[in-house]
Amino acid sequence: MSLENPFQDPLRFERRVPECAMVIFGAHGDLTKRKLLPALYRLAYERRLDAGFAVLGISRTPMSDDQFREKMCDSVKQFLEDSPFDADVWTAFAQGLFYMPGDIDDPGLYSALDARLKEIEAARHTGGNVLFYLSTQPSQYVPIAQGLGAANVGKSQGWRRIVIEKPFGHDLASARELSDQLHKAFEESEVYRIDHYLGKETVQNILAFRFGNGIFEPLWNRRYVNHVQITAAESIGVEGRGAYYQEAGSLRDMIQNHLSQVMATIAMEPSATFRPNSVRDERSKLLRSIRIMRPEEVLQNTVAGQYGPAHIGGEDVPGFRQEPGVKPDAQTNTYAAVTFFVDNWRWAGVPFYLRSGKRLPKRVTEIAIQFNAAPLAIFHGDEVNTAPNLLILRIQPEEGISLKFLSKRPGSGMQLRPVSMDFNYGSSFGERSPTAYETLLLDAIIGDATLYTRQDMVEASWNVVDAIQHVWDATKFEFPNYAAGTWGPKAADEMLARRGHVWRQP
Amino acid sequence: MGSTIAPDRILHEMADLWVSLGKQGEGETGVLRACSMTLVVAAEESDDEQAIGETLAALMPEHPSRAIVIRFRAEDRRALSARVFAQCWMPFGHRQQICCEQIEVTASDASLPDLAAVVLPLKVPDLPVVLWCRSPRVFRLAAFPLLSAIAQKVVLDSNAFGAPAAALQELSALVAAESLADFSWTRLTRWRELIAQIFENKAQLANLPRVSEIAITYSSPTPTASAYYMAAWLVDGFQKAGVAVRVNFASTPGPAGRQINRIDLRGQNGESIASVGLVEGQAAEIRVGELTSRAVLPPLTDYALMREELSIPGRDPVFERALAGAARLALS
Repeated sequence: MSLENPFQDPLRFERRVPECAMVIFGAHGDLTKRKLLPALYRLAYERRLDAGFAVLGISRTPMSDDQFREKMCDSVKQFLEDSPFDADVWTAFAQGLFYMPGDIDDPGLYSALDARLKEIEAARHTGGNVLFYLSTQPSQYVPIAQGLGAANVGKSQGWRRIVIEKPFGHDLASARELSDQLHKAFEESEVYRIDHYLGKETVQNILAFRFGNGIFEPLWNRRYVNHVQITAAESIGVEGRGAYYQEAGSLRDMIQNHLSQVMATIAMEPSATFRPNSVRDERSKLLRSIRIMRPEEVLQNTVAGQYGPAHIGGEDVPGFRQEPGVKPDAQTNTYAAVTFFVDNWRWAGVPFYLRSGKRLPKRVTEIAIQFNAAPLAIFHGDEVNTAPNLLILRIQPEEGISLKFLSKRPGSGMQLRPVSMDFNYGSSFGERSPTAYETLLLDAIIGDATLYTRQDMVEASWNVVDAIQHVWDATKFEFPNYAAGTWGPKAADEMLARRGHVWRQP
Repeated sequence: MGSTIAPDRILHEMADLWVSLGKQGEGETGVLRACSMTLVVAAEESDDEQAIGETLAALMPEHPSRAIVIRFRAEDRRALSARVFAQCWMPFGHRQQICCEQIEVTASDASLPDLAAVVLPLKVPDLPVVLWCRSPRVFRLAAFPLLSAIAQKVVLDSNAFGAPAAALQELSALVAAESLADFSWTRLTRWRELIAQIFENKAQLANLPRVSEIAITYSSPTPTASAYYMAAWLVDGFQKAGVAVRVNFASTPGPAGRQINRIDLRGQNGESIASVGLVEGQAAEIRVGELTSRAVLPPLTDYALMREELSIPGRDPVFERALAGAARLALS
């Protein structure tokens, strides 16, 4: 008999999902409640998970299976996005939720975990496949990986994978150290470094847009692209994470990972196939092609910022230094803008401007690709007549793509006006898009690492960012240098103005 | 009703329509035309005009098309008339931005032979044509093949054809020549997916050879076309795995409007190996050994069914095999 499932219908069915158990370390934490469980429930609601799919939550808090189920039920109801809650689907899904209290530093936890997984496997036919999700402080990644390795947890006939959240180290050396430690228990192919930006529909659509269409790729180079702006703006402040953020800053927290991955997706060469390593090889190559700034270039090509207090919408908003847990003289960058150049034939000389900040006017993440103006301006008139062609890829809040071009204004004379051709995920496809965590969790269960970050990519982006961070660490900035609710420091505008460019205001 | 329509005039009216839409969208936004196919809908004149319009409007954002709705009247006199209008929607920012054209043609049965010559110049160049025939009567008109020959895909609902056995024979005879789709099959996708997912689990896949009987229950007095399709698809799957199974059809009380109530996969001694059954509302319960899970089945509206079919532009070999098997089963 063939061992293949004879009932598959790839034309109509969703991707095939294998049976597995998922172990969540930090099961009582915010990420589990806000993102992981709602995403898993939604996958169950969409019939995407195997009937025996199980979750085993681990944290220090003593709790029974039933108490865990109740807490997760409340979280799912509270944090489910654009989706109904179905009590019957939950009841069936909750039968697969289990809990184990334990201290990750206790070796006994791991042997108990192994025994519990074997029980679950027997009861729910999870096939010995285990996905470990580390929803904990990064300092706990290594002890957990070591504990799992020492007790051989989940090492049976099935597969084992481990998912970790950023930050992947705080510089190149610590990233390598983390990786070395993880590799003592897991092969690199078993390590899934999650970057939820890569799970967004639009980020995935960049690949479809670039490599599924023949008309854009010929324009995707230094000859036609004038510059690229990648913006990740948040309107909120540090929201109680002041102590953590004080050590991280925007450069490490956003540009080293999310934005450089997005930039790599925008600028990478076409991969030969859509296999995970093929795509990741190209992303990695691009990250390695980003020019590393010499110390004397850093302050010309980067801007660090920190928000000060402001009065917004009738409300007093504290500055970063007034946030709880933040030192009154903190030198933390809550805003970072950088100019990167890619040293390859496709992109030589094209600036990539990346900026990310907190307490900016609105929450928006987008990529703007500005094309060169027509070589000869035959339509004279106001500046609208020479507005550049822009391709905007919006990542949040409304995922979609817009192309701006000039069109003749009706009537006599040759007045042009910019028009926009828009594609919006929410309205263009009648149904909701999966959340980034739904996409990425399903990918990890299926074993598709395309949207996960590989160690060489992490190292390549740290290489670039470390060069900036070292100079920033040695610089005393005059912070705060932008008021909350504005688009960042004036110096960021000047950085673009030096090349004749202007930040787009999304 | 006028007696003839000229495609050139319709095309001219459509051009005027875009001019007038452009004027309404004056300002910074303009109006954009989107089109990924020509969708021809053949319906009875008595068919619910509003329901068709709402279904097309719902389909447009995902499958923007030039829609040609032909409403047929059982009449011997040759008569045709047409009007054009646009379906527009506002993607975001509450601006009228994207519009699709819709042409409504009213035709008598006798003018069906003339219609191909009307539709042909109206179809959008270089894009596929899908014909959704909502009326079995129109489908059976002698001149219908002239119209369906323009389409790359013909979508039908055998559920409306009357006796399922005869309908399946009819479709089966056509499938070699036409790329067909049948809503009675489309309605089964979520059921089939639930069954396929059971056997994604290796432990359950190992149980597959234990299955010797398939029981399919439905509410109607005789097996529905969907029940025959399901049985044929399951038998085909088991055959691929080298497993011979027998099929039992049974009628049981169940929610109205569902073509199937329950599917049981049983072993030699009647023991349950897996089952999928409707429980309440839109929910299905999946039982595999001791494990029970629930799934919400989406409502099977014309929009949902058509949306699925429009996502499959070419031939569907799984459907075609199931149709052949279902036609054989219905005869036996």
